[in-house]
Amino acid sequence: MADPLGAGLAGLAALIVLIVLRLPVGYAMVLVGAGGIATVMGPNVLLAQLKTLMFGQFASYDLSVIPMFLLMGALAAHAGFSRDLFRAANAWLGGLRGGSAMAAIAACAGFGAVSGSSLATASTMGRVALPELLRARYDAGLATGTLAAGGVLGILIPPSVVLILYAVLVEANVVTMFAAALVPGLLAVVAFLGVIALYVARHPTAGPATGRATPAERRAASLGVLPVIGIFALVLGGIYGGLFNPTPAAAIGVFLTGLAGLVMGRLSRASLRAAVLETAATTGMIFVILFGAELLKIFLARVRLPQIAAEWMLASGLEPFMVLLVMLGILIVLGCLLDSLSMILLVIPFLWPVMVALNGGVLQGAEGAGFGMSTEDLKIWFGILALIVVELGLITPPVGMNVFVIASMARDIPMARIFRGTAPFFVAELGRVALLLAAPGVVLWLPRWLAG
Amino acid sequence: MIPPAPPHLSDPEARRGPDPMPLSGQAPDARLRHGLAGVIAQAITLWALMGGLALVGIVAVNVLSVAGGLTGHGFAGDFEVTELLAATAIFAFLPYAQLMRAHVAAEIFTARAGRRVQALATSIAGILGAVMAAVLIWRMAAGLADQRAYGAETAIMQLPIWWAYMPALISLALWVAAGVLTATESVREARDG
Repeated sequence: MADPLGAGLAGLAALIVLIVLRLPVGYAMVLVGAGGIATVMGPNVLLAQLKTLMFGQFASYDLSVIPMFLLMGALAAHAGFSRDLFRAANAWLGGLRGGSAMAAIAACAGFGAVSGSSLATASTMGRVALPELLRARYDAGLATGTLAAGGVLGILIPPSVVLILYAVLVEANVVTMFAAALVPGLLAVVAFLGVIALYVARHPTAGPATGRATPAERRAASLGVLPVIGIFALVLGGIYGGLFNPTPAAAIGVFLTGLAGLVMGRLSRASLRAAVLETAATTGMIFVILFGAELLKIFLARVRLPQIAAEWMLASGLEPFMVLLVMLGILIVLGCLLDSLSMILLVIPFLWPVMVALNGGVLQGAEGAGFGMSTEDLKIWFGILALIVVELGLITPPVGMNVFVIASMARDIPMARIFRGTAPFFVAELGRVALLLAAPGVVLWLPRWLAG
Repeated sequence: MIPPAPPHLSDPEARRGPDPMPLSGQAPDARLRHGLAGVIAQAITLWALMGGLALVGIVAVNVLSVAGGLTGHGFAGDFEVTELLAATAIFAFLPYAQLMRAHVAAEIFTARAGRRVQALATSIAGILGAVMAAVLIWRMAAGLADQRAYGAETAIMQLPIWWAYMPALISLALWVAAGVLTATESVREARDG
């Protein structure tokens, strides 16, 4: 091929057209990646690659955590641990004005700690908490908005499937990324609780207090969450404390979640089957996208498209910080159109080399760097920022998946009302992004401390 | 400022594809299909459940490895057994993901295009999936032959790698079937409007 750059751009154009035409994103990536490799490097290269590429990619110790974390979340949902979390939080908070909505946020955060997926968190917690909020005569916008936004915590609080994929893409340490996500995730919880407090302060009838729980009720409800909290503490604590790698940690999480569900008589054969099949559908979807991303990576690396984009950005003389803001803006816009998973896998391979080039190269230390931090730190900081902004698309129109999930449970509440309900949370998220942009230390502190 | 959602999006039931995270287990199921389609769907579902067993195998190996490490009876092969079982499980999930139309697509651009066009896009996706899987069968069969000829083995337990290629090939064959099945169903949907 005489003009690799032309081939690369043509490939990108084809990819966009196929995605717009409603082809599954993973299939479009496989098609364009394979077509590009065959065009630029010759069909024989492609045919030789296909012999072992897919198997080699799937036979991965690190990626095996993805189906395991998905199974763990599905088992926890089927065993009703989500309900326990909400009951316990509500026993403590329900007496406050807006307290049940706050309890829903706390429960979402707790469930997010065993689940790596936003949609799973929104649908699980929505099923549990939405009827209770509506029964307590909560304003429909506040109730649905809270749960759609709370679902986002599934991905912001580790373990997080999107974060694992990001780590694989930029060759970051998953444990470091999980550690980096924790403090910002807890900040999100605090911010969401603040949003609810402000909302009910301005609209006192929107979130009526429910009856105060008796001490005995509180004790019973709190005991009910011990299994989840114990599993969470062991899995994430074990990972952070360096006791074990994410893979055995995930395995222990699945084992204990399943064991607790079975011992407590909460997992029937039918629910085990359903949990495995949900895991199967989501895992299959994710790994086709991963395979497509790998083919695209080979193709694009050959035509040097990401490097050319990076050189072009460098030559443009724009301030690194401005470029970062533009990138985050692009991610927010794309998040309105695509799901977060395929977006991370599609876009990060382009954006990350630009960030590296602007910072001064892969080996750049903090001294004299474009972003004032070493490229290793930049990797962590940028990952958390990207994670937050791609998830914003889940609660914004037009394709807010979390909102759809909640809307499917509350047929009589119009979609626009739910989107209006998520708006204050969206604003809080923008505030959080601004905070993390201004103070990278919030992200970098815990991984540094854990590293000693 | 919130624009009204297009009609398809405002009614989640009308959206194509299954609930992204069905929790009830009552989403479109193999049991709803009859005849040959029913048999194929059952086989794919069973195969995904077998993949689930491989996943449980990974869990068991890693839990035993940690437990063994704590009691001084650690074993070294957990890494490679995990890898081979992971590939086996993930391949086994691919036909089921196709059967359930679990692959995410950007639906926003064609949301107003009418169900007929959308069903057509879904059937094209099914055919594409089948073609991809067929090409992969051809190539990975060659890959299997290579691995066997080279005698490729895992480093510690010396498990032949080509063993794990065999269930993967069965998975790919079922993926072809799933693609053809979903494509036919979508064509029927498009025809019936």
